[in-house]
Amino acid sequence: MPLSTEESTRMLKRTVMIAIFAAVAVVLSIVESIIPVNLQIPGAKLGLANIMILTCLYFLRGRDALMLVILKTIITAFIFGTFSSMLFSLFGSLFSFIVMFLVMKLGRNQVSLIGVSIVGGVGHNFGQITAASIVFQSSNIYYYMPLLLITGLVTGILVGIAVKYLVPSLTKLSLFEEFQTNR
Amino acid sequence: MKRGDLLIIAIIAAVALFFLVPRWLPGDESENNHNEILTADITLNGKLYKTVELTKEEQIIEIRSERGTNVVKVHDYGVEMYDTDCPDKVCLTFGFIQKPKQSIICLPHRVMVEINGVQDVGDEPDAIVN
Repeated sequence: MPLSTEESTRMLKRTVMIAIFAAVAVVLSIVESIIPVNLQIPGAKLGLANIMILTCLYFLRGRDALMLVILKTIITAFIFGTFSSMLFSLFGSLFSFIVMFLVMKLGRNQVSLIGVSIVGGVGHNFGQITAASIVFQSSNIYYYMPLLLITGLVTGILVGIAVKYLVPSLTKLSLFEEFQTNR
Repeated sequence: MKRGDLLIIAIIAAVALFFLVPRWLPGDESENNHNEILTADITLNGKLYKTVELTKEEQIIEIRSERGTNVVKVHDYGVEMYDTDCPDKVCLTFGFIQKPKQSIICLPHRVMVEINGVQDVGDEPDAIVN
């Protein structure tokens, strides 16, 4: 069944947006790896790439954001050569995505982007630790979870603030105009 | 910020503090049991690679596998990941650990260092006075 012009334009726009978001997310991951963070907390990171995932979740559909998450994880694994731990980061990212998606869907009126971002940051840490504990068959690694809850909270707030500034700026672009009305 | 945000922040902070605060409180045994030397298990790919005593003296243990090399250093009744050639270097951020249940994990190399709990050393003398 051929799509109408309007529909196919919309699909094309979506695809382009996902591609651009993925590119920016990967760049943010690289930038993040250059910033030296000397916290003695294993696995703690800024999670700048989550800015793009959250923005995507805001403008587009859940499945588009899911596509972005998978793309971003695979591309960063290529760039950093971390294939051996790619499944772990995929597990963390997917878990983070699922909880963000649910909180966004269920708490549309009660939770702002900052709340969604916090849940995402904490969810990422939880997902990764869980993946590690499954592979190593040891629950001792959860020792670090409380600390990672705190770092996830703080970085989540920072990422949320960034998204709060990014969304209104993007809304002004004509590309995002029609997606804005969805909400 | 909305009400839901504050609720999320409060819940996460409460859960984190619930687990963290007991660790900050003065431990009943953590400081004064240095006469009892702990051991740590090093596992590679889920199999026990070596059990080391956490002595005050320095020990260097190299763990080589087809994935890469990790260098573990024991000193001052604790252990730390000293060097590695893994791509993400997350294992180096675990720092120096010396309490039971703490662990160091190197995901890319599937290496884990776990400090064992204090065992009952029933048949050993408590102290020898010369």
